Amino acid sequence: MNLSKSLVVAKADIKMAMNYKYVKFGVLGMGAMGPLFSVLSVPMIYILDPNASSYIEFILPYISSMLAMFAIIPAALISANSFVGEREQNTLEPLLCTPLTDMELLVGKSLSAFIPSILILVFGTLITEIASNILLFAFGFPMMLIPDMPGLFLVFASGPPMIFVVVFVMIIISGRVSRVYEAYQVSGVSVLVYIFSMLVPTMFIGSSMPFGQVIWFTNILTFMISILLLLITSYLALRMFNRDRMITQI
Amino acid sequence: MELNNEVIINNLVKRFDEIVAVNEVSLEVPAGSIFGLLGPNGAGKSTTLRLLCTLLRPDSGTASVAGHDILEEPVNVRECTGVLPEEGSHTLYPSLTSYENLEYFAKLYDVPEEEAKKRIEDLLKFMDLWERRNDPAGELSTGNRQRLALCRALLHNPSVLLLDEPTSSLDPIAAKRVRELILKLAKQYGQTFFINSHNLAEVQRLCDYIAIIDEGKILLSGRTDELRRRLQSKQVFKLRVADNIETAKSIAEGLDFIFDVSIESDSLMLTILDPVSNNSVLIRKLLNANIAIIELAEEEMTLEDLYLQVIKEEEQ
Ligand SMILES: Nc1ncnc2c1ncn2[C@@H]1O[C@H](COP(=O)(O)OP(=O)(O)OP(=O)(O)O)[C@@H](O)[C@H]1O
Ligand SMILES: [Mg+2]
Repeated sequence: MNLSKSLVVAKADIKMAMNYKYVKFGVLGMGAMGPLFSVLSVPMIYILDPNASSYIEFILPYISSMLAMFAIIPAALISANSFVGEREQNTLEPLLCTPLTDMELLVGKSLSAFIPSILILVFGTLITEIASNILLFAFGFPMMLIPDMPGLFLVFASGPPMIFVVVFVMIIISGRVSRVYEAYQVSGVSVLVYIFSMLVPTMFIGSSMPFGQVIWFTNILTFMISILLLLITSYLALRMFNRDRMITQI
Repeated sequence: MELNNEVIINNLVKRFDEIVAVNEVSLEVPAGSIFGLLGPNGAGKSTTLRLLCTLLRPDSGTASVAGHDILEEPVNVRECTGVLPEEGSHTLYPSLTSYENLEYFAKLYDVPEEEAKKRIEDLLKFMDLWERRNDPAGELSTGNRQRLALCRALLHNPSVLLLDEPTSSLDPIAAKRVRELILKLAKQYGQTFFINSHNLAEVQRLCDYIAIIDEGKILLSGRTDELRRRLQSKQVFKLRVADNIETAKSIAEGLDFIFDVSIESDSLMLTILDPVSNNSVLIRKLLNANIAIIELAEEEMTLEDLYLQVIKEEEQ
């Protein structure tokens, strides 16, 4: 296993995916959307309603889920191109004729989706924290963690495994779908896990359980679900990822 | 003399569900030679090539390329082979430039950067693509893309080249240049070529060894010059006469050096054994019977004729 070979593949795949306008604007747009949405929501609510601190805790969980969700969609966009697109444009065969091992190829293609997504995840969250507080400070409101601690946990504990889930789902379905956009839509369904982390807290509103605990509970559960999905999809994907199968399905 | 075989195939079998695409194929290709695998559509040529470049796993049998077993050492096999896939012109990254397509593969094949630069330049110049190096591959014509795919196969200076219909979609001049390049690489640099084709004329001109495959089975294989002798010992001629075609037919049928007489529109098709000495006998007989000969011409052997002849010989 030669990591530098995988990086060559990853770099080329990112470059080629970005040559498509919809991928380029998709990735950049998603990257901007999370922070934009988050930065605008909390400070805006404060600015519009100075009494917001009484209910702001109900809004914060959405921010972390959104940040994670928008960071994962680029992985679906890029991996659809690097797995299914490669087959669609018949370039898989010469690629598989090179001395790359199956593992180097798998790692390279996974990294092409992972690197942009993880960058969006990390920098999106960082920008959200900084920009929100600049706004809050500028308008004279108390500074706070946006996303808060359980939110940061959700983003950084479940985000990276979910990016891999998207890639593994792509490998599993790549033999069955022939078009890039189908592949992108199917694997994009993985983001639904964050609907869970958004919905569960709403069910506890008004219950006796302290809301902070509900959020921690939900986010830890989401994290566990993402690990479970990771285990299942990685098991299936690694079993399916071999040359003979990829070529026979051309 | 012990020949050093670069490609050795032993009873290779590959099935796709019901279809046996490659059926007990055994072949040997000596180092530095050019081997042509001929066969009609669906014969199993591309499948054989894909087994050799480790893209497919055989159901049974073995093969080795450049001394490496395709099942035991697939990575080594891929390191020493350059592959032009079927429809090579459709296997480039359309959004990358010609240069970038080659640069990417040079990295994947571990060609050192400086050497890669030089080789890419030499190959692009040789294939008349240097001026188009910064154009996206998707904007090149089919023939130019085919040449670029050939450059890609040659990039890392592999000892064995597996080319699936290398000159399809090339114009006659480009096809000739590619044939000349293949000859030069084989004869001067000792590279071994395994070429799939359905163009008999090209294979005859280019290859030292030929095998014919149909429905997954090798019908015959051997040195080209031996096969050519075998072909030339019996040849098909077309006889056109002014009239009395039936009389001409019965005369031809009465001659023991003529096999197979058939009427095709206004001509007779005759398979003649040793035409060099026998054609004059035929002509004398026809003239004696007052038959006006318009033409007695050698029919170009098509691949189909060769198959038919091979199959007929197998039966006899
Ligand atoms: N991936 C596949 N799945 C199922 N059948 C296949 C597959 N690839 C090849 N075949 C079948 O195997 C047989 C041999 O095909 P192959 O492509 O090797 O022929 P070929 O000699 O290269 O033909 P052509 O001259 O048309 O390129 C054909 O009957 C083909 O339909
Ligand atoms: Mg073929």
